Order: sequence, then structure tokens, then C-alpha cells
Amino acid sequence: MATATTQHLLLSPAELAYLHSTLSLTPPIRPDGRLATQFRPLTAETGILPGTYGSARVCFADGTEAIVGVKADVEKTRRTRISPEGQNGRRQRRKRQIGDDVGGGEEEEEEEEEEESAIVGENDWVEMTVEILGHRDDDNSTVFLAAMLSEALLSDGELTKKLWINRRFHWKLYIDIILISPPLSYPLPLLSLTTHLALLSTRLPRLKSEADEDPMFDDDWAASQPIYPSSRASSSSRPPITLLVMAIGENIIFDPSKEELAVADSVLAVSVVEAAVAATTTTTTDDGDVDVDMEDDRKTRRRNLRLLSVRTVDPPSRLTAPGVPNAVNAAAWGQAPPGASAKDPGVETEDVEGVWRPPRGGAKMAVLSAMVQKVLEKGGIADEVLDGLDGVELE
Amino acid sequence: MPLDTSSAYPLALLRVDGRRWNDLRRLHAAVRTQAAADGSAYLEMGNTKVMCTVTGPSEENKRRTAASTATGNTGGAGGGAGAGGAEVAVEIVVGGFSSVDRKRRGRGDKRIHELQTTLSKALAAALHTHLYPRSTIALSLHVLSQDGSLLAALLNASTLALVDAGIPMSDLPVACTAGLTSAASAADDPLVDLNAQEEQELPFLTLATLGDTDRVMVLVLETRVQAARLKDMVDLAADACKSVHKSLREVVRRRGEHMVEEGAVEKGASMAMDMDIDV
Repeated sequence: MATATTQHLLLSPAELAYLHSTLSLTPPIRPDGRLATQFRPLTAETGILPGTYGSARVCFADGTEAIVGVKADVEKTRRTRISPEGQNGRRQRRKRQIGDDVGGGEEEEEEEEEEESAIVGENDWVEMTVEILGHRDDDNSTVFLAAMLSEALLSDGELTKKLWINRRFHWKLYIDIILISPPLSYPLPLLSLTTHLALLSTRLPRLKSEADEDPMFDDDWAASQPIYPSSRASSSSRPPITLLVMAIGENIIFDPSKEELAVADSVLAVSVVEAAVAATTTTTTDDGDVDVDMEDDRKTRRRNLRLLSVRTVDPPSRLTAPGVPNAVNAAAWGQAPPGASAKDPGVETEDVEGVWRPPRGGAKMAVLSAMVQKVLEKGGIADEVLDGLDGVELE
Repeated sequence: MPLDTSSAYPLALLRVDGRRWNDLRRLHAAVRTQAAADGSAYLEMGNTKVMCTVTGPSEENKRRTAASTATGNTGGAGGGAGAGGAEVAVEIVVGGFSSVDRKRRGRGDKRIHELQTTLSKALAAALHTHLYPRSTIALSLHVLSQDGSLLAALLNASTLALVDAGIPMSDLPVACTAGLTSAASAADDPLVDLNAQEEQELPFLTLATLGDTDRVMVLVLETRVQAARLKDMVDLAADACKSVHKSLREVVRRRGEHMVEEGAVEKGASMAMDMDIDV
């Protein structure tokens, strides 16, 4: 599926073999001279389209560019089969029975809790479309990209929770992603970063009506509220980012370019989210030793990354044709040494230096877990990218 | 009942957005906005915002031309092929967020298809396609925000992107719209450069000319209009095209100056001088 969104690379087997061997050195030597953990430089801006609720534009240094616009609509919440009123009524009755035993004070608290838990969004409140130039919008790869992006966005349920207005109405969020340039490399990280920024800049009008009335909103756009409040202190989550990681042998390489993808052994799309501060305290108390370290760390950098999803992406390298040594190459039979021609040409040879052989079989578990570990580690690539994105001014 | 947009401020003779009848909206354009494309441009006409990238001239894409003629739904519209000239393929992507209410247009949308065909035919006529036989010049246009005069904005953006790509053309194709107020009195002037609100209520046409000449390349009129007033509208649109041409030229000139300052074209400039000496 990856190949459909990356342009076909016309690399000879010799070139592929060269790329593979340089990338499997320690440290790997990348065609563009980056370090293994270095991200491509990018420029980003937000709030470029005044007609949208939030928008962003990101350009990578290789010239790929994406624009994301977010639009919202008020929609009536579809009634589920078990009406929420009925359910609440039943629960309240049950609670009253308990309340009789324990006392009135606790009953009120529990009811409040229930109010909180009632705010549950549905995944179809967010609609995401991806437009890639030269690809139909119902193309396999396009749909797959949109699914991967929305999967990461919806997995923690935080976003849909923010779209809840009252029991009868909710916001419907439309996220339209346009890839402006031809897809030079696998566009997943670019689209994900742009969506991240667009969501950060998204603002919804302030609600004026109360409870379950028909919603009424403040006309004043200056009073509108961002769906992801910027203050780090509040216990709100941030939108996720999805990064591309690939492995060649034991080497783990971040943000691969198309040439590097052409020789990758395995490719992972890792979605991480910056967890809320409240969650930090609970996770650090798990282990006493770690706790101390984390405390120190948090003074300098208070970022706690949480893994949302990992997906393997079929690397295009699996579809490249293998290089065949002259000895067994039917097309080069004239050049083969006479002794070699006697061998059965169907027999596969061992790895030959300088001959490209596409990877076979699955990735090793150890390599996969190392890839995920490396994304999540403190001061790792995800940290670096999030730091960079934090620097982008929101409108 | 349609709103009479021209009489929003009847005494001052101002339109709804405060312009006079012959005022153009703010035209802002940038050339070379994207590094990956052969040519690219960004154009704003008021709140209509369009981005254009050009790829090519490149080798003719067999698969694509075959597909577009066979099914006609790949989204590309070709023009100018045949007679050994380059094909101009135009693809328009309208962002779902571009209009006030979110509306998603599929690739098979008839209106988009019509825009694509109009653009590719007009551009193929202005470009020297005969210099690139058996090749394709692919334009992709992205509509980021719509507020009237869409076709005009698309054409102007394509012009700039084609200039950036260095494809020879006889002159800059430029476009503008002109509309007629619903007032029946003949004394009323037609309006130029309509916004979305005016487009909905008034009869209007889109006119494209080749540079500041009076050679008409495109004339699109989809609404009913009094035949006697058509001439006024065309005249006014042609005048407006002249001022659009002036500002586009200015954009191109500034870009050229910038390139000379950067030293990007020094070599080319000296080559031109050499050629002059040779001749």
C-alpha cells in the first residue's frame, strides 16, 4: 500500500544494494547526510485560512507541502437504542437505594461523577478526508492514510469528548487534508504534523445556552475557545502525532526519505500523544527508582509521551526486483563464466556483495520494540518534533 | 427577493463590501511558493485564494491520457494535444473547507470538470505548446478559499505558475469578472470583480484576455443578461483585465528582481548578453 503513495523510484539493483549497505553501517550514512535520528527541517504556519475554524500549512525541506482546514457543524446527536434518560433514571434509582444505606452526602458526589462520565463522544463525530494529487479520493492508499490518521486521533477518545455540547447536540468536525505537492515521500508524517497543528489552532464559538437547551453561541469570535487549550498546566491532552520509523538490519532510522524507504527492512507508523500532566503522576509512582529520575527530568522537561498505536507499513522495498548475479542471470548468459553456466540457474545464491536482494520474512520482534522504544525515549525524536511544533505560533 | 447589492449605500454608490463599481479587490500574489514543483504560484483576489503548481513539460503520460479519454473521470482535462504540441492537463482540487458551508466536491463534479476544460483550452492557446511535442504540462490547482470570481483567480494563478516554470507564452493570459446591477436604468454602471454574494444575485461574466490586448481568450456567461448591456460588461471586464495584467506583471518583475539579487539568474543573464553580442 505504501507504494501507491510514493512515486515509483527508478533505482537499479546496484543502487539499491549500495543504499542498503551504507544504511546498514554503524552509524548509518544517509543519502542526504542526516543523522539516523534527525528529522527533515520544516516550516509551519497556522491560521492561514480565515474561513475555517482552524488551519495549518507545513512544508518539508524536500518541497512536499500540506494544508489542513478544520470546519465544524452543530449536529443533532443520534439517539441510541437505550435512551440516556432511561439509563440515568435506572441508575439513579439504584443509587438511591445505596444512598439510603450510606448517607445523603455521598449520593450527590456520585451523581456528579455520573454527569462527567456521560460525556462520551462517538467516533463518527470526526470526519477526515485526504486529497492527494493524482489519486482518486476512493483510492486504497488514500483511504488507508485517512484511516491511519483518524485512528490515532480517535483512539484516546479525548477529541470526541471535547465535541460534546449537551445530551442532544454535538459538534461535527470535518478535517480536510490536502497534499499540495506530489507525494515525494510517504506523506504520513507530513499529514499528521499538519493535522496536529491545525487542531491546535482550532477554535469553537463559546456556548451561551445552558444544559440541554438548543445550543446558542457567542457571536464574538474573540471569545471563542480553542479545543486544545494551550496552557500546559491544565490536564488536557494534545492531538497525537504519527511518525515514520524504519529499520535496516539493526539500524533504526527516523523520517525516511523515499530512497531510504526503497531499501527498508521494515517500516512502522508510530502514533504518540503527549499525555496530560495528571497522568504523569500516576505513571511515575509505579516504580520507586524511576520515580526519582522522572522527578528530576520533569524539572527540565515535563513531557510524558504515551504510545497510541503502532502500524506496520508495507515497505516498497518488498516490491523491488532482486538483483541477480550474472552467473544465474538468463539475460546475461553470454557473460557468465563457462563453469557457472553448468549450475542450475534456478538455485538461489547466497548474499552477494553489491547485489540487491529485497527483504523477506517479517521483522524481528526485538527490532520492532527497539523502534517503538526509541520513539518514546526522553529527548528522542518525538520530543524533538513536539518541541519544534510548540514553537509554532498559533494565530 | 434578491437583494440589490449595488444600492447598499445608495447615495455613495458603494457596493456591499464598500467598493465602487470599478474597484478591483486586493490582488496579492506570490510566485515560487513550493520548492518541489517546476513552477508554483499563490494568488488571492479578495478572499478567493488559490494555489497552483506546474509539473513539466514532461514526457507524455500514456496511462493518464488513455484513462482520461476512456473514462473521463480521472479528474484531468487535457487540451492542446495533437498537431505535435504539448498537452496542457489541468486538475482542480477544491478543498472541502473552502466555502462557507463545508461541501465536498468529488472528482467527477461537472462544474469542476467544466472549469478544467475551460482552463486547459485557454492556456493551450496562449502557450507555445508546439515547442514541446509529445509532452505534458500538468497544472494542479488547489482552491483554498472561495469568494467569487473563481475561474478568473484560477486562470491568473495558472499564468503566474507557468511563468515561474519558464514555459514560453505569447503574453500573460489574465482574467476578471464583470456583473450587471439588477437596476433597470441604463445609467447604472456594470460592476467588476464580483464577490460571492454579488455572484449569487447578479448576472455576471468571466472574461480572459491575452495580456493587455483586446484579444479575448475566454468568455463565460452562465446567467441571463440584457443583450444591450452585454457590450458594456465586456468592455468593463476587458478594462479590468488590463489592470489585473499590470499587477501580475509587477509580481513577475519583482520575482525577477529578487532572483537577480539572489544571483540565481546571473549565469542566464550573461548568456543572454553573449547571445546579443553574437547576433
